[in-house]
Amino acid sequence: MRSLVTGSSIRGLPVVTIADGEDVAEVRDVLYSPEAGRVVGLTLNKRGFLAGRRREVLPAETIHAIGRDAVMVDDESSLLLPADAPEEVGAPPSGRDVTGDEVLTDGGTSLGQVRDVVVLVGSNGEVVGYEIETASGGTGYIPLPVQLAVSGSALVVPEATKEFVEDDLVGLGAAVDEFRSTVGI
Amino acid sequence: MSERFAAAMGRKMVSRATAEELGELAHIVVDVEHRRIACLTAGKRRKALLVDWENVSGFGPDAVIVTDESALYAARDDRERAAVDGKLDLLGKRALSEMGDDLGPVTDVVFDAASGAVETLVLGDHEEPATSLLGAGSFAAIIRAPSRE
Repeated sequence: MRSLVTGSSIRGLPVVTIADGEDVAEVRDVLYSPEAGRVVGLTLNKRGFLAGRRREVLPAETIHAIGRDAVMVDDESSLLLPADAPEEVGAPPSGRDVTGDEVLTDGGTSLGQVRDVVVLVGSNGEVVGYEIETASGGTGYIPLPVQLAVSGSALVVPEATKEFVEDDLVGLGAAVDEFRSTVGI
Repeated sequence: MSERFAAAMGRKMVSRATAEELGELAHIVVDVEHRRIACLTAGKRRKALLVDWENVSGFGPDAVIVTDESALYAARDDRERAAVDGKLDLLGKRALSEMGDDLGPVTDVVFDAASGAVETLVLGDHEEPATSLLGAGSFAAIIRAPSRE
């Protein structure tokens, strides 16, 4: 049983230093790489009401854990200027958003459209599935294999994914491991 | 002899040298790295004063005895101002696990009255040894996550 959150619920979380318990920033956006199948980093806002953007970014490698209530880092040196961060985080390519992409099984069935990524709580950005809008307009959650084909407008998942469309994150949390053993990854 | 932060708040602080009452205990600042009390504060706002633990000669159930009135000093820097404003208090602070989960507020802190060593953090009906405290600041106290699996 795994505890999961959607990418959109990570936005706005405080970024807190473990060393001195300060909220040094908050999450502005989640940078997801469909090729890597994981969150590669976070962009940041300042804390406070009139908070503007913070220039620094948070590469996944420097994240201690993405939790339900905060993103934890060792200390403020974990926040890097874009020039000092890996390119995929410091200068992320545009047009890589998977939102709206059609999810097709390799048997040719459409499962719906991607609405959000689903992140493993306590990881530094492991994405275990997608929230999708199903053909009927409902919300579903599908587990992801580690490797999958993405084109920019669609992605192809194993046929077995059909059997693992869940109604909620709790269901997906329970299904991830079984799915992964089923598709043999 | 163990004492608790919550029960100690407001306790009178008395000079050993003159037996005069110097104020009431307002805040307790913990040196997280060494897991011991660093200093106490007395009074509020502009009248607030600090006293280092080294100059606390007795922390008893009825009074906190300070060596001498001259051991009390006003805040000199941002950190000391934060201390007298209560921003560094462990008591009442949001506890976060190092995995980013909110554990609720720190409801009490148990310490050794002789040494000032912090022994236990109380988080509601749950207790954590002081060794689980990884860091603390104005936003949160960070608690080591139990090793998983």
